[in-house]
Amino acid sequence: MVKVRGLVKRYEVDDGDVQAVRGVDFEVPQGKFFTLLGPSGCGKTTTLRSVAGLETIDDGEIEIDGQIVTSAPRGIFVSPHQRDIGMVFQSYAIWPHMSVFENVEFPLTQLKAKPPKSVIREKVLRALSLVHMDGLEDRPAPQLSGGQQQRLALARAIVREPKVLLLDEPLSNLDAQLRAEMRFELKSLVKRLGITTLYVTHDQLEALTMSDQVAVMHGGKIVQVSSPKELYRKPKDRFVAGFIGTSNFFEGKVLTVGPSNQLSSVEIAMGTLQCFLPEATHRGAAVVLAMRAEHFEISLDKRAGAENTLKGKVSNLLFLGESLDCHIEVDGQLIHVKAPADLAIEDGDEVFIRVPPERCIAVEVRDS
Amino acid sequence: MDKVIELSGPPSVSWRRVLRIRHPWATLLLLFLILLTMAPLLTLIFGSFSNSTEIGEFKDFGLQNYARAYLRKTTLVILGNTLILTAGSVFLGVSLALSLAWLVERTNIPCKGILYAAIPLTLAIPGVLHAISWILLFSPRMGYVNRWMMTTFGLSTAPFNTYTLHGMIVLEALRVVPTAFLLMVPLLRNMDTSLEEAAAVSGAAPFSRLRRITLPVVSSGIIAVLIYETITVLETFEIPGILGLPARIYVFSTKIYAVTQGLETPDYGQANALAMAYMLMAAVGVLLYARATRRAEKFAVITGRGYRPKLLDLGWWRYAAAGVAGLYLTLTLVLPLLVLFWTSLLPYPAMPSEKSLALVSLDNYRTIAIYGATWKVLKNTALMVAATAVGTIVLSFFISWIIVRTRFWGRGLLDMLAFLPRSIPGIVKALALMWIFLVLRPYFPIYGTVWLISLGFILSFIAYGTRSITASLLQIHRELEEAAYLSGATLPVTFWRIHFPLLVPAFVGLAIWSMFLSIRLTGLPLMLYEGAENQVLSVFIWMMWDDGQMGAVSGLGVLTLLFLFLVAVVMRRMGFREVGAHR
Repeated sequence: MVKVRGLVKRYEVDDGDVQAVRGVDFEVPQGKFFTLLGPSGCGKTTTLRSVAGLETIDDGEIEIDGQIVTSAPRGIFVSPHQRDIGMVFQSYAIWPHMSVFENVEFPLTQLKAKPPKSVIREKVLRALSLVHMDGLEDRPAPQLSGGQQQRLALARAIVREPKVLLLDEPLSNLDAQLRAEMRFELKSLVKRLGITTLYVTHDQLEALTMSDQVAVMHGGKIVQVSSPKELYRKPKDRFVAGFIGTSNFFEGKVLTVGPSNQLSSVEIAMGTLQCFLPEATHRGAAVVLAMRAEHFEISLDKRAGAENTLKGKVSNLLFLGESLDCHIEVDGQLIHVKAPADLAIEDGDEVFIRVPPERCIAVEVRDS
Repeated sequence: MDKVIELSGPPSVSWRRVLRIRHPWATLLLLFLILLTMAPLLTLIFGSFSNSTEIGEFKDFGLQNYARAYLRKTTLVILGNTLILTAGSVFLGVSLALSLAWLVERTNIPCKGILYAAIPLTLAIPGVLHAISWILLFSPRMGYVNRWMMTTFGLSTAPFNTYTLHGMIVLEALRVVPTAFLLMVPLLRNMDTSLEEAAAVSGAAPFSRLRRITLPVVSSGIIAVLIYETITVLETFEIPGILGLPARIYVFSTKIYAVTQGLETPDYGQANALAMAYMLMAAVGVLLYARATRRAEKFAVITGRGYRPKLLDLGWWRYAAAGVAGLYLTLTLVLPLLVLFWTSLLPYPAMPSEKSLALVSLDNYRTIAIYGATWKVLKNTALMVAATAVGTIVLSFFISWIIVRTRFWGRGLLDMLAFLPRSIPGIVKALALMWIFLVLRPYFPIYGTVWLISLGFILSFIAYGTRSITASLLQIHRELEEAAYLSGATLPVTFWRIHFPLLVPAFVGLAIWSMFLSIRLTGLPLMLYEGAENQVLSVFIWMMWDDGQMGAVSGLGVLTLLFLFLVAVVMRRMGFREVGAHR
């Protein structure tokens, strides 16, 4: 449905050009929810705006529903108003001089074949009802709350039933509770309508909970595209592992390499760990192992025979309600561990932490 | 002073609270302001019913003044002239300013840097000098442009006559442009571009976006600018004074001046009666403006992050657009300066030729320098400007402070009183001050001094002053000063160490702004003029022009303009970009 190939975008700044997007490729299949995830300045919003036609690009091609809408080498550029898209802006961009109804009606009045009034009215009311704003159609737009503005922007974006829905951090201006609510609502709404959706966010939780596919962007490039589950389980590199969830990183050296699908051992500063390494890793290679805070088991006594166990001291405890956030000091290095909330430990306690070998992920391998 | 920063307690008004006087200093300031604004106003109103021929004397109350002022056809003509001049120049000027603002903000017109710098610079030109330069250019008998066109194209009569209502409208319109431009540039710049982008992705073509989204969104802002300029032109005195008085084309401001200058006996009663209608018109304008800006603020609530909007490519039209902008700058800036400079070098105005080149000398400048009155005038002007700036800043600061930081019961009233004098046209204000300080002469002998002129300007300027300082004060988070109190600082120390450094830019900006205006405005000091003791620069220029000393006036004009331009350029370098945006 949406295909982006080799997208490059440069910005002129006072001291030369800055490449905001440096060669991005991805494809969103019909009806799928695709998310561009990354920290601010990674080029995700520029990519989205290029798909919308709000930015011209310096290289690459964009295709919507089989039609090339932007092509730098071929000099094709379809204006945004001629693309069949709906978009929700981060600021919502609700037109302040129009009522709720007029805001939603506007895209319909711009159709080449303008539908009759009764049809327009019916479509507007249905769109408003889809976002649970029934009865508010006569309200002047500036009198809406933040949550209502967000819903209105969504209604305006879907009222034409566009082929593609573009969402630019639509939830970032809402408070935490409303955001959690809207995550569910937004996902079920676009699934119900079956619209192909391109979503931009810097919030990993939004990306993981809502998407079919997530593309993690860093420095103007896509680093990894995969399903949310795979992204969590098998981050491709150190950046992805650090960006999704809370990870601890350990640098080490490969001591022994087991045969395929067998345990290898890696020497790190505080001991030797058993883990699975990617194929074709050699003895003596330098690796970085990532371990998520929630994958550690924590106990007060050492269990016999268990591998990958480290001895440490509790140095900082945060009670989060659903869990305990602890820093465990092992040989002078702090390890971030998430423990069950009812675990009876205190600052200064001596504890043992263990991480199963399948939870040690090699995110960097360098042959020496 | 400690009680002024009373921070708790409900702001409810109960007489017990008032009588206990919780905020003695604030109350004192309020009383002072009431006296300062209401006393002249009441004297003016009483005076309009008094039939004494002496100013400052109240007797034989009746409606004769009103009969003399309003039961005449000429008054209708004056009303018509005032409305035509105002409507015509505001419409022309704001349209031109909007076009220029749109061109520099949203298109790829060339020479943007020059336009951004030069258009506001035209603000520095005093109205009197502008009008004089236009007479030198476009008067039917001696205007350079007229004479040049007559000889070049063989015309038998002069093509332009600036001593007409049309002439005044065109010049006043050009003078409206810079303020309107400065007010509209941020309007176009701050408009959330995602509003237009949302229309684009909704399928709206560029023209449809302009019509359905851009214009409606900025329309309330444009209306506010229109009303603002209407108030300004309504009280303008300089252009109709220099261009209209010789041709006996009166508007309200010049008529009131003319009546008080009556050849045999000045008719102050009639002037007061005329002032009533004039004041009403201005007051309605100010009320409308207050309402319009409130609406504009409501619209401004929704804004997003700013992407720089894509500039519209005008193609070859951009050179045509630059041509129009260039013509505007030529008429408002280049030609007036050139003509004043050329005339200042000659004993009498003459077209550039071999013969006139032989006459070129610096004699006029020598005359200005050795003429004794010049130095007295400069000293008066400096004193008046300094007193005006200091008074405006001090009064504005205390009013703003009370409004922003205390729970004083009279805050709303204080705010209103600061705004009230703005709704009284300068000429009327001068008339009212004249009355009251003639009455009070035995007790406060400031009539006939420069201090009274300063007082008049301060009253006009605190409306803008409190608004600009209130805005700056609101930016200083209350916790910054609370942290200072908790660190053991007293109120004066807190002010000196926390507020003053943070407010310096606002103070300097306000000082420069009031300096520019008090040098430029002529109506009020001219009305209050009593003799050498309180003659300031603008009055001096006016009088010399009246005496027909064109060369000396031009020389003085050139020097004044160079000084004002220099200050404006230095201010821009220092970052005070919108000095003088509000007249």
